[in-house]
Amino acid sequence: MRLEELETRLMTRILLIEDDGETAEEIVAELTDRGFDVEWSSNGIDGLDKARALRPDALIVDRMLPGMDGLNVIEALRKDQVSTPVLVLSALGAVNDRVRGLRMGGDDYLTKPFAIIELVARLEALLRRPSESRETTLRLGPLELDLIERTAKRGERTIDLLPREFRLLEYMMRRSGQLLTRGMLLEEVWNYKFVPATTNLVDVHMGRVRHKVDGPGEAQMIHNVRGSGFILRAP
Amino acid sequence: MPQLQFIRSNTFRWASTVAGVFAAFIVILFGFIYWKSDRYLIARSDRMITQQIDFIAALPPGRRIDAIADHLAQDSRGVQFAGFFGADGNRLAGNLQRIPGELRIDGPVQSVRVLQTSQADPVDLLIRAIGRRLQSGEVLVIGRNVDEVREISQVVGQALALGLLPAFSLCLLAGAWLSVRAQKRVEEVNQRVQRIIAGDLRERLPHRNVDEPFSRLAAIVNGMLDEMETMINALAGVGNDIAHDLRTPLTRARLSLERGRTHATTLEQLQEVTDKAIAGIDQSLAIITALLRLTEIENSRRAAGFGNVALHEILREVCDVYEPIAEDKNIELAVDVDRKLHVWGDRDLLFEAIANLVDNAVKFTPSGGKVDLELSRGNKETVVRVTDTGPGISEREREAVLRRFYRSDKMRNTPGVGLGLSLVAAIAKLHGFRLIVSPGPGGRVEIVCPDETATRKEETLACRAESRFL
Repeated sequence: MRLEELETRLMTRILLIEDDGETAEEIVAELTDRGFDVEWSSNGIDGLDKARALRPDALIVDRMLPGMDGLNVIEALRKDQVSTPVLVLSALGAVNDRVRGLRMGGDDYLTKPFAIIELVARLEALLRRPSESRETTLRLGPLELDLIERTAKRGERTIDLLPREFRLLEYMMRRSGQLLTRGMLLEEVWNYKFVPATTNLVDVHMGRVRHKVDGPGEAQMIHNVRGSGFILRAP
Repeated sequence: MPQLQFIRSNTFRWASTVAGVFAAFIVILFGFIYWKSDRYLIARSDRMITQQIDFIAALPPGRRIDAIADHLAQDSRGVQFAGFFGADGNRLAGNLQRIPGELRIDGPVQSVRVLQTSQADPVDLLIRAIGRRLQSGEVLVIGRNVDEVREISQVVGQALALGLLPAFSLCLLAGAWLSVRAQKRVEEVNQRVQRIIAGDLRERLPHRNVDEPFSRLAAIVNGMLDEMETMINALAGVGNDIAHDLRTPLTRARLSLERGRTHATTLEQLQEVTDKAIAGIDQSLAIITALLRLTEIENSRRAAGFGNVALHEILREVCDVYEPIAEDKNIELAVDVDRKLHVWGDRDLLFEAIANLVDNAVKFTPSGGKVDLELSRGNKETVVRVTDTGPGISEREREAVLRRFYRSDKMRNTPGVGLGLSLVAAIAKLHGFRLIVSPGPGGRVEIVCPDETATRKEETLACRAESRFL
């Protein structure tokens, strides 16, 4: 981890509202290791108070909490005009209109059980929500994406992309340097609301895009993080 | 006392009421018949005596006495009365001793009381009579006994007794019989339901194959019980399947962890072992996730998320997603879209269903094969068809494939959770679509979307829209 990255994280305060002590302990330990300042609350009412008092940068909320339901905590906060991004954890599935609304509102939903790396990746994504830039060209190192013409170039070399591949690369460029998990890519690029039976679906598509982006003799830009996902970085 | 329970039963009470009403009707009917015939007979005898008095009065004075005698002589039953009286009231002829006191001379026919003296025992009789004063001053009286009307009333009364009593008893008997029968059937149903509650799921309610409400009700309940039995059996089967499918990856995870704990000497070795264990646990979790997803879809009533879905777009998207995977496996994936076709449904779920079908097809088709994705119009229905050159599904396996967790024996070594088709079936059912799995060789699965589901949904939507404006 780079030093400046760690420094910004130390100033990032996360509030975790989770009633299961052991799960909470693991999450707090992992996030602290990664340099976040984590507060923990074990029930909805206390959590809501802390959220109002501490003004955290992001919330991780379990959906089923003693005292007050997790979604109600979020609704109460939103009523107070608090727009802190929220990552909801739940043992319940996502086929629910309230959850749909949550996702549309910019928050995220993670179904238990989850890999801790998935939680971290989604939290990072929430904290670094890309600003709605009006730029029509995205640039990262030698890579250039023209959003109007729908064309891609690496240096002088034109990259021939299929529509879905273009969308994948655009999503990755907006979140360069971030770990993007398969789950996130499936949801955001392919609009998948479920886990496909073929587990290497994302890998196959990513393999094609990487083949096109990282030509022979060129420095690698799309990195595979073993067992977790992918990162796009300037070479 | 259970034997007398039928008297308290509703059926019997109803039967009694009906019998009572029935009896009242019969009494009224017979009363009416009596009243009508009485009136008729009196009117008839009135007409007769008026004719007779006219006839006798019109005769020349010398023949009147003979005519009266003739008239009385012809009457064998002794119902005729006549009297011919002088101006001073003395009897000249006839069988009436004197002019009846109540009789108004020259009035209409009326009822009067007379003393009959022709028999040994004089009787006071009520007769219909008419009196007329002739030009010469004599008074002529003609009368007729209407006692035969009373005879008729007797006949009517007897008929009433003969008809009403059996009818009334019949009503009561029928009521008792019906109520006992209903009681018996309810008792029988009760006993069988108790057996079902006790856990005997194969028990069914008794019903005859007739179009009778009770039998139809029993048939409906039996249908429900069939469905429940299938479901409960399926559930029991699923329990075993889950246990089996979870045990395999968990065993692997446990073995590698155990081995790692004793044999791993370096961090790398330990990490390798842990990775294996995590993979095993992830596979178990995938099974649980898929299972929960299936239950979620089966239990959802999410018609709220329904809209007009462009199937041709979904097909192209699915093809888009799976083309590279098919290509890697050296399988040709072709999409054939007739024209733009829409159905009423949940876009995400329909995408999931079609993606699952294509996923399966690509997974089970050997290298060098072909997977076809078609969208076409059938007879008042839209059909999504996925065909492949894989092994297909045998007749025997067809039903089982739609059950949760079933994976064809040939495919045991192909990774995958085996819930794919169950999921598709659940999604189809939620939409009112049909899932048709055709027998091999070659895989061929169809989702048939009948047009009426669309119109039905549109109607409810229209209704909802209307009610919002009201």
